[in-house]
Amino acid sequence: MRQADIWSGAGLALVALLVLFVVIPTQIESAPDGYVSPRLVPQMMMVLVACLGALQAYNAWRRTPDGDGSLPVTREELLALAKISGVFALALALYLWLSPLAAGIALIAGALIVLGERRIWMIVAMPAGLLLAVWYLFYHVLGTALV
Amino acid sequence: MEYLISGFGHVLNPVTLFWIAVGVTLGYVLGALPGLGKATGVAVAIPLTFYLDPVSAIAMLIGIAKGSAAGSAVSAILLNTPGEPSSAPTALDGYPLARQGKAQKALKMGLFASVIGDFVSTLILIGLAAPLASYALLIGPVELCAILLFSLTFIGGLSGNSLTKGLIAGAFGVLFATVGIETETFIPRLTFGLLELDEGISLVPMAIGMLAVAEMIVQAGNMRALDQQSTEMRDGKSREDRVVTGAEWRRCLPVIARGSLIGSAVGILPGLGASVGSFLSYGATQRASRTPEKYGTGMIEGVAAAESADNAVVPASLIPLFALGIPGSVIAAILISALVLHGLTPGPLMFQQQPQKVGDLYAALLCASVILLAIGYAGQRLFALVIRVPLRLIIPGVLFLCCIGAYMETSSVFSIYLMLVFTLIGYFMRKFEYSFVTFLIGFVIGPNLELTFRQSIQLLDGKAANLVHHPISIVFILLTVVTVGLIARGNSRATQRAEARAGMEKPKEEQLHI
Amino acid sequence: MTLATRRGLIAAAMALALGVSGFAPRAAHAEDYPAGPLTMYVGYKAGGQTDLVGRAVAKVLSDQLGVPVNVVNKPGGGGVLAAHELQKAAPDGNTFLFHANSVINTEPFMMKRIDFKPDDFEYAGMITAYQTSLATQKDAPYDDLAGFVAWAKENPGFSFGSLSPTSRMYMEIIAEKEGLDVNIVPLKGGGDMLNALLGNQVALVLSGGIHYKYPDQLKTISALTTFRQPSAPDVKTIEEDGYPLGMDSRTTLILPKGTPREVLEKLSTALKACETDADFKTIVDAADIPIFYFDLDQAKAEMEKSYAKNKEIIEGAGIEPK
Repeated sequence: MRQADIWSGAGLALVALLVLFVVIPTQIESAPDGYVSPRLVPQMMMVLVACLGALQAYNAWRRTPDGDGSLPVTREELLALAKISGVFALALALYLWLSPLAAGIALIAGALIVLGERRIWMIVAMPAGLLLAVWYLFYHVLGTALV
Repeated sequence: MEYLISGFGHVLNPVTLFWIAVGVTLGYVLGALPGLGKATGVAVAIPLTFYLDPVSAIAMLIGIAKGSAAGSAVSAILLNTPGEPSSAPTALDGYPLARQGKAQKALKMGLFASVIGDFVSTLILIGLAAPLASYALLIGPVELCAILLFSLTFIGGLSGNSLTKGLIAGAFGVLFATVGIETETFIPRLTFGLLELDEGISLVPMAIGMLAVAEMIVQAGNMRALDQQSTEMRDGKSREDRVVTGAEWRRCLPVIARGSLIGSAVGILPGLGASVGSFLSYGATQRASRTPEKYGTGMIEGVAAAESADNAVVPASLIPLFALGIPGSVIAAILISALVLHGLTPGPLMFQQQPQKVGDLYAALLCASVILLAIGYAGQRLFALVIRVPLRLIIPGVLFLCCIGAYMETSSVFSIYLMLVFTLIGYFMRKFEYSFVTFLIGFVIGPNLELTFRQSIQLLDGKAANLVHHPISIVFILLTVVTVGLIARGNSRATQRAEARAGMEKPKEEQLHI
Repeated sequence: MTLATRRGLIAAAMALALGVSGFAPRAAHAEDYPAGPLTMYVGYKAGGQTDLVGRAVAKVLSDQLGVPVNVVNKPGGGGVLAAHELQKAAPDGNTFLFHANSVINTEPFMMKRIDFKPDDFEYAGMITAYQTSLATQKDAPYDDLAGFVAWAKENPGFSFGSLSPTSRMYMEIIAEKEGLDVNIVPLKGGGDMLNALLGNQVALVLSGGIHYKYPDQLKTISALTTFRQPSAPDVKTIEEDGYPLGMDSRTTLILPKGTPREVLEKLSTALKACETDADFKTIVDAADIPIFYFDLDQAKAEMEKSYAKNKEIIEGAGIEPK
């Protein structure tokens, strides 16, 4: 964790400085006289993060090296992140260009497939069951539209 | 009092009881399903308030509110995905308990704490609504500002291994909460020109992304290990692991009592909400404990503290509604329309003009507590089976429900984008051990603190000397100073210990708990 | 099972998705309107006052037209987001917005990014009016605007609770004209406002009408509309007091530009039924919201008139859109 603490602390301090000197001035207008500036709270928070981030990096650097230079994220975890992101990207694309129904099917079936489900009946039954249940609840029982 | 007794006469009939039960069940199930919760319950309830007869509609609405507050503990304990942000502290100890094979024990404690908190708070509502509401009016922005400041000192206890990281996460929580149009100057902040962000980042999609979706992705990455752990772990090997023992009851009852009171107080105060209640209760319990470092590894008291306060907020938030006509929560706002159709206009006149109908309402509230206990108890055996279902089947379903839950609040795909952004943030926060609980506290308390601070400056005419007219706030400011002093003094040693611990490689099993 | 069949099944599922989503487009002939369920946007979150009235209107419209009317909440920017969404919808009357007309006649002058004009939309009618007014505690030592100004001159540093840019503008105009020393306290939402007022935190607020629910604790000192308000007929309007600042705001059925007149007329007639509907009356009466029905032509005229007037007031006050 030592390596990760150094890098994440330093990285967050940099992000905070970036927000402080670039994002806040361009995204928050200054207020007329006599008001508490709308920039005040965001600026305070970013100054705090910049200091704490640096402190965290410094403290971690001072600790004796633990010989554990590996990232706290394992390969499998990154792979899972990538797979599920892909499923979400596909579902969103289908939502925008095809239909919400297609997006729902893609999301559930896609997630099942990337997580290693290989039984066809399950890949068909689960999206069908969930979508039917949601459709029945909203469109029939409640009489409202979801999309 | 006699109205309350005859109220029971009116409520204890099959039709009304049926609708209370429907409401409680619906709320409990929605709360237990990750991604869905109070927001969904509200959307479901609104059409019904127009088509159902008024008594049943009100009873059902109350049931949904109470049920979802209790149900959200189920997914927090079993899957580490709190159904609502207010159950995030429940997961801190509930999930480790479930992983130790004590899921049933944790679920039971969660339910009992919920029901007791709920019942106590309902009794407070019935007995003390009018006097408490008028006291609550004495708490103006100046006092609230000081109270919020004090409650921030609880962040320390909730930051996990490292106070520095906890504070960083909290600061980011405050930053994200400033997005949107600022209330005093009406200048948009950090909206990048997006109209969708004018009203700020909505808590629901943010919390769903950070708490549920991110957790699901982490679990997907450790699927094999977790599934293997689940099969090895024979749930309820011994009876001890399934029930709450007498010793545990003795340890938890004071915790539940404190949680119920904290939850009730938070519910009465304007604009704080259930999350603040459960965070404060958890933080206070941990601070009062003799072994604070054990929290987060499966302390049953943690579950009791969070859940009792979480549920106590719900009836207490009706106090300002009944006594003054001011809706303290979304559920309360919707309740107004149902009450109005019923011929009851919430407010002080309600007690003089319609005492019988108020009695009916109180009877329905008490019945809902009891029904919650019954339904929760029956449902738990079923829900506890979830832990045996392999994750590859759970995760797709949860992801789908999360999308529905995020989408429903605003009916726009923008909420899904928000959810995904916070999923990424939440994912890396987990992996780099930044506490998402302090992030949430910052997000929930930050904007209230800023607003009340701005209000205080105007109300005090810009002079600190005017604080003498606000004794309550002076007390809380002093408390804050003393607490911060104590933390600073006791902290140097604790930090060294914590960082030494963080530096060591942790056993694989513990890493999975996060 | 082979990979090929699996692919085939997924393709079949996709085709199904396409097929279901591609329902034949509804007949666009205005005489057949309405041919199917209608969608009504409300630009606020579920549970607020306007949402409450909107759902009651949806129920009346549904009874009158014989098709379901689904309420969809699209909160954001005081209704601006919902209005933008509406502009993207087909002008066939199947999608409309129920909202305060302030989204078109006030917001453009307050927000830099908005440039709605009355001509950008069609209107099927208006149904209720907001009783915007200045409210205070029942025991306050003033009963009208003149009395308040006199009191304020003797109590510099008094507090005024403000919910919106418009509310702040009113107090700034009055304070400048009369030379008052005021602390403007920002408030968030109606509940916060009631708390501040009932808890004696502020001396005066601008209320959208919700304070009329507290006749025992609160009173109205000036109506900020161009008409005297049904809930307090004895209270003078701000224009009667010599400030030309009356701004009316009404709940309006707003449709996309280009909606056929036959469709608007059908909706307008259905909306009129709200005037006599018993449930509708119960709901708005309890919230002290008066019914003022305007048909489609009156609504259009009101929209243009109020747009011009609000523009003059707000620009005259020197407000820069943010």
